[in-house]
Amino acid sequence: MRKYETFFIIDPDLTEEAYTLAGDKLKGIVNANGGAVLTYVPWGKKKLAYPIKKRNQGLYILMEYGGGPELVAELERNMRLDERVLKFITVKLEDRFDPEKEEVREIVTPSAFEEDEETAESEAGAIEEDEAGAEAELAEEEEELDRG
Amino acid sequence: MVVRRKRRTFQRRKVCRFCVDSELQIDYKDGKTLRYFVTERGKIVPRRISGNCAKHQRVLTTAIKRARQIALLPYTTIHTV
Repeated sequence: MRKYETFFIIDPDLTEEAYTLAGDKLKGIVNANGGAVLTYVPWGKKKLAYPIKKRNQGLYILMEYGGGPELVAELERNMRLDERVLKFITVKLEDRFDPEKEEVREIVTPSAFEEDEETAESEAGAIEEDEAGAEAELAEEEEELDRG
Repeated sequence: MVVRRKRRTFQRRKVCRFCVDSELQIDYKDGKTLRYFVTERGKIVPRRISGNCAKHQRVLTTAIKRARQIALLPYTTIHTV
């Protein structure tokens, strides 16, 4: 058994009910294919870096589970078919994994993710100023490249 | 004729932020941290500017590319005009 995590984006315009339904369906697929869902954590609504299926916002969900490679293929196939899932990414966390030995972890939703877009932006700005010299150098180089 | 730019006078010692602070993990889901290592246009900042060590830069590059896939970071900003 391997340990995977799938990070996916669900349509933010869904009703609460439809949203739980979509989650249950995906969890059902994992369980039906000999897997075990470890965590299922909604990360909240977030602005997308670029529009996906004409949507600018998305509901991020992180799901960790144990299972084989066939399970991942099946899950991804279903996500592709499902209109409610906008995008997903699956990452293998561990090659050998025993769900019984897994210690119970606290489910932590990263606080950074829930924060307002604005506060995050301003902090990033501060760092950029710190490296303004380096950034300027890079920008110059970019310009040079553009001129070709 | 190409005019060689003068070397910048300030030469601050650059250290790898991830080596200094072992608490700081590189995770593709952490868009906020990754944002420090991309330019305004969304390009990955090279090692010679960010000061990262080779090991962490490799991990970071993968993380940034994954973050782009899941729309936490932009591929580019040009198209969103």
